[in-house]
Amino acid sequence: METPPLTANPSETSPRQTIIVGAGPAGLTAALELSKQGLGGVVFEADDIVGGISRSVEFRGCRLDIGGHRFFTKVREVEDLWHEILGDELLVRERLSRIFYRDTFFDYPLKPLNALRGLGFLESCRVALSYLHAQLFPIPDERTFDAWVSNRFGRRLFEIFFETYTEKVWGMPCSEISAAWAAQRIKNLDLLTAVKNAFLGQGTRDGEVVTSLIEQFLYPRLGPGMMWERCSELAAQGGVATRLQHRVVAVQHRADRVVSVEVEGPEPSAAESGSRQRHACDALISSMPISHLVESMEPAAPAPVLAAARGLRYRDFLIVGLLVDRKTLFPDNWIYVHSPDVRVGRVQNFKNWSPEMVADPSHSFVGLEYFVDEGDDLWSMDDADLVSLGAAEAEAIGLFLGSEVIDGHVVRMPKAYPVYDDEYERHLGVIRDWLNRFENLQTIGRNGQHRYNNQDHSMVAGLYAVRNLSGAALDLWSINVEQEYHEEKSSRPTSRGGAQPPATGDRLTPARVQNRLDDILESAFAQYDEIAAGAAVGVTTALGLAFATLFPVLRGQPDFLPTLSLLGQYLFGFEVSWPGLLIGTAEAGGLGFALGWSTARLMNRLVAAAERDLERRLATITTFEL
Amino acid sequence: MSQSTRDTEQALLLVARSVARLRTAIVALVGGMVCGTGLFVATLWLVIKGGPTVGPTLGLLRVYYPGYSVTWGGSIVGFFYGALTGAAVGWCVAFLYNRLADRRLRRS
Repeated sequence: METPPLTANPSETSPRQTIIVGAGPAGLTAALELSKQGLGGVVFEADDIVGGISRSVEFRGCRLDIGGHRFFTKVREVEDLWHEILGDELLVRERLSRIFYRDTFFDYPLKPLNALRGLGFLESCRVALSYLHAQLFPIPDERTFDAWVSNRFGRRLFEIFFETYTEKVWGMPCSEISAAWAAQRIKNLDLLTAVKNAFLGQGTRDGEVVTSLIEQFLYPRLGPGMMWERCSELAAQGGVATRLQHRVVAVQHRADRVVSVEVEGPEPSAAESGSRQRHACDALISSMPISHLVESMEPAAPAPVLAAARGLRYRDFLIVGLLVDRKTLFPDNWIYVHSPDVRVGRVQNFKNWSPEMVADPSHSFVGLEYFVDEGDDLWSMDDADLVSLGAAEAEAIGLFLGSEVIDGHVVRMPKAYPVYDDEYERHLGVIRDWLNRFENLQTIGRNGQHRYNNQDHSMVAGLYAVRNLSGAALDLWSINVEQEYHEEKSSRPTSRGGAQPPATGDRLTPARVQNRLDDILESAFAQYDEIAAGAAVGVTTALGLAFATLFPVLRGQPDFLPTLSLLGQYLFGFEVSWPGLLIGTAEAGGLGFALGWSTARLMNRLVAAAERDLERRLATITTFEL
Repeated sequence: MSQSTRDTEQALLLVARSVARLRTAIVALVGGMVCGTGLFVATLWLVIKGGPTVGPTLGLLRVYYPGYSVTWGGSIVGFFYGALTGAAVGWCVAFLYNRLADRRLRRS
């Protein structure tokens, strides 16, 4: 299929030329949608392969998935699109994953009996006590990852099952990671839910499938790259071609519009010096890292925006693929390696994702994933050394022998994960505020929006970006893949200017939010003033005792007084006399104060658990609308 | 996040972090019902149990509650006295609590 002509001269460009930067899931979904709508466009991809981080890399006939991509979504349109692109080549796979910690494999999601057996009785008791403590005395400031998880799972469980792995993945202490990441990635999941699911099966809460516990997923026969290779072909057939090894190095803008992009291709061009070409465009949909986009703008972005762009952090990733001379290794799709004594973070067993990921059925192909920073020791290590390291670490955790490794291959993936540190929201806000002025520029995808998206989220962004070109007014920053919540009121218009919004655009309105807020309001409790409660009960008790003593005296019923004096058993010094009455009243007041104060305090502590739940649910709502 | 949701979130968190007040009438009513029912059941229980001397200790409440006795009829009388006492105590606690909480809040 011929690609649409591109030219260095803007005046010769098609009147509806859309440029998409990046051929990952977001960019290629946008390309496919663009082709379906009959709009002209082209995709520029810096790499020599499509799929972004969802690519499949070929090695000795095997296919390597960068990170393991489950195809699971709640967005019907995305799932339909997957089936449309791949048809029967989309397999249904069972999920099996475990955690490796302290020489023990734990089922994941955690199963109580399995965890109990793995941890041992004493450690399990510590976990239970730690959870109880977290419920009674939650950490009030929940802005960090460790606080967020500890409040839901208990500190001990956090240390065992979250801390080491998370620090491996993000390369920084959990106390420096924003809770937003936890809220988005472990949304709605807490220890009780996990335990309940383990006993009762797949967990739901008000019909919501708990995010991290999906037990079945779709997977392309030849890995995720197959999806995007096919998608790229389909888009090209519709007139939107993908140009590989074309890196966008500059974006020119004028009067709050992007007017052209400058692309560095693999070969020198006659039109421009070196290998650079300038392409005029009517619209730009960018999935390149948003920091790069800002730095590529010409004229340059204001200094604070550039500073914000430089302040965004990324985590990089490398995977060591090992071809192993063994038919079967372990039953898992992947294993989380929490042990601090090896550097590998996760091990993928590609044969269990799809048997066709391995060329020779008598072999296995695994991927050892290392979470790194570009330029660090692992990133800079020779490929051969990395293969040796991978083989040694696989043997150390008992997966297979190093001598069974036939060959290895290393793939480095820069900017694999946007980092949610304390500053990222502020930086992103500055960047968004500035980019919003460009009416024909939209950013999509994980790095395009600096959001830790799954690919379905990125795909929705790609779809909506193209629909916006046709007159819709969908806020790409409000997309959330948990869209089933929003379908109940899908008739509610969200498009500005009275245009009929696209069907999925309706779901952007957080219709359930209001209902949920009503529910939440019912769970909102105010705190009791403990001192006031103590004082009120103390004064009332003291007055009660004084009345109870004086009343029979004044009524002339002395026969009752010996009985009343028995109170002296509890109120030392109390007797039916003026001094005794004063002492007794003071003591009764003190006891009453203690009773009132401790009751109010206990109630506040218990209510705090409800408040924590309230905040968690509010955090969930916040993620709907981010 | 929309402005309205942000406002609602703020409002909800304010509720969760504010100081609770007690509805005086409600606390008095609840106190009255609990104490009234309590004395009624306690009296009735001793009457049903029976014996040579029925409820000599509980019967001392007649010092405070004229007309009260540990009998079938006394349980009804006890219910009213208990309710009155419970309501008075409840009202007193709630009233004092609210005043003190307000005072402490103003001072802080």
